[in-house]
Amino acid sequence: MTLTLTHLVALLPLILVCVTAVVVMLGIAWRRHHSGTAFVSVVGLNLALLSLLIVWQVAPLETPLLAVDGLAMFAAVLILVSSLACATLAHAYLEHYGGPREEFYLLLLCAAAGGLVLAASQHLATLFFGLELLSMPLYGMLAYTFHERRSLEAGIKYLVLSAAGTAFLLFGMALLYAQTGRLDLAGLSASLVEGPGPWGLAGAGLMLVGLGFKLSIVPFHLWTPDVYEGGPGPAATFLASASKVAVFVVLLRLVLSAPAFEDAWLHDLLAALALLTMLVGNLLALTQANLKRLLGYSSIAHFGYLLVALVVSDGLAAETGAVYLVTYLITTLGAFGVVTLLSSPYGGRDAAGLHHFRGLFWRRPYLTAVLTVTMLSLAGIPFTAGFIGKFYIIALGVEAERWWLVGGIVVGSAIGLYYYLRVMVTLYLVEPGMQSRDAPHNWGIRAGGVMVLGLALLVVLLGIYPAPMIEWVRAMGTLNG
Amino acid sequence: MEVAFYLSGLVAVLATLGVVVSVNPVHALLYLIVSLIGVAMVFFALGAPFAGALEIIVYAGAIMVLFVFVVMMLNLGEAVVDQERAWLKPGIWRGPAVLAALLLVILAVTLWRGDIGMVIAGETLTAKAVGMTLFGPWLLVVELGAMLLLAALVTASHVGRLSTPRQTPGRDASTKEGA
Repeated sequence: MTLTLTHLVALLPLILVCVTAVVVMLGIAWRRHHSGTAFVSVVGLNLALLSLLIVWQVAPLETPLLAVDGLAMFAAVLILVSSLACATLAHAYLEHYGGPREEFYLLLLCAAAGGLVLAASQHLATLFFGLELLSMPLYGMLAYTFHERRSLEAGIKYLVLSAAGTAFLLFGMALLYAQTGRLDLAGLSASLVEGPGPWGLAGAGLMLVGLGFKLSIVPFHLWTPDVYEGGPGPAATFLASASKVAVFVVLLRLVLSAPAFEDAWLHDLLAALALLTMLVGNLLALTQANLKRLLGYSSIAHFGYLLVALVVSDGLAAETGAVYLVTYLITTLGAFGVVTLLSSPYGGRDAAGLHHFRGLFWRRPYLTAVLTVTMLSLAGIPFTAGFIGKFYIIALGVEAERWWLVGGIVVGSAIGLYYYLRVMVTLYLVEPGMQSRDAPHNWGIRAGGVMVLGLALLVVLLGIYPAPMIEWVRAMGTLNG
Repeated sequence: MEVAFYLSGLVAVLATLGVVVSVNPVHALLYLIVSLIGVAMVFFALGAPFAGALEIIVYAGAIMVLFVFVVMMLNLGEAVVDQERAWLKPGIWRGPAVLAALLLVILAVTLWRGDIGMVIAGETLTAKAVGMTLFGPWLLVVELGAMLLLAALVTASHVGRLSTPRQTPGRDASTKEGA
């Protein structure tokens, strides 16, 4: 099967993002211009987002290596939106960075393209290439301010551990191929119908380990806080949002389509990992004095909750996972956005220590309001988007009678409430004479500030009136069948 | 031919073990070259001569020789001659040499028996077949590979840059404060 025009139309978002990356590269070679580069990147990402409307007409469609279905389009929207958010944040962040600033957008576009491929992959080759295209630019983005020791450390740490994760993934793929002789997901599931056998099971397990590294599921989570803390704000934002969404979607696709993952033993393993992830993530977040580290541990815990959707993996599982991903993404983008804005423009290490946030309310009331709303949403308080996601997850767990997991979610949320509240209390403490890092005075009218305010509004809106989001997720879900 | 496959695979595994346990980078690299040649032999035995040839030309030929040269150039100095002499002790090159000799014996025996088409199973995978797949249905993967290389190149050139970024005046105070 070769590529036809219809296939090219279906791949339009990916092609547009790649073309934008090439245009940005040529632009840098011709003349360096920070705002111009950022503008071209944002226009390209927006065009890709708009082109999804055209793709909507031809979906669902199977190109030779990629599946353009509801799940892929859903993930594409989330990835493109978070890439846009990262681009606006990067523009504010890198404004006064002394070194070359334009390459960041090039890397961001490449990573976004990788995310699009990964989320749409229905073949182990595109899965691998997408994952690498997602991770490779992230090494550069995390180590972007490499004169800062911690940024370089974050980049190298992510490089080494992500390479180890990739090795596990490749070994798993090799075992699956040895068992079945197929690399495409449809062929894999067809060959594994009469039971996966020991090699298929081992392969599925190893792939789970490899993807678990990227999702920082608990035994493989050790890199997360250091990398989040060390990496520059926009890069950490991308890592916490787009990268995780893409990897989770591909894991969801694997679990939903490949019968090797339907094995009871593997499901028990997933359940144990989910329980461990939500508890350990929340417990380790308790003692953090750095907001980026805290958000790192909190994202570990949130992916523990999300794993419940994979463990159940029938009925409302896909919808639950999708709704939770949307709420997580909006909230995380908002929280990281505030941290990044406070550290903008670049001036050494990011202002992420909790002491930087002491009394923020008395200096920047609106920014504080945004951070408060996102913290409430992360804790899953009603009238915020986070509550809707958590409600879905608990409902799914109760319906499937996975009481251990439901208990884990409840305990985890209770622990989470403590450290999210601690952050909020810090924001309102008065401490005279504190000279802390601050956002630029006109942050509210800049692209990054507008974006963050909009996200906070969206968090509240979706918390009060979630119907449009649920409708949208359902519409995407019907495309799958 | 099955014997050739298993022996080459064993050589590759042992040589890779040698890479991991070697304390000296040059020895590790020599082991790595043997390991890559062993993998190439495995490809030949499986009936994929194109992949085998690429493995030798690209990995063992170009990349590893580059590695060895860089490592050797980094060691320039007074102590180099002594070190070189110390490196030439038989105990050090014996391992790679034995493994490489084993590969040579496998190759010689296979060639001596003369049956080129004697592969484990399946038809021979030629360069034409690989090209047809790559630039037909897998075109997307080739393009993605190009994007991947672009990202890697930009990352390497950015992080490898020597110049220090200039500090913007006016942000200095906050830099100290933030650090």
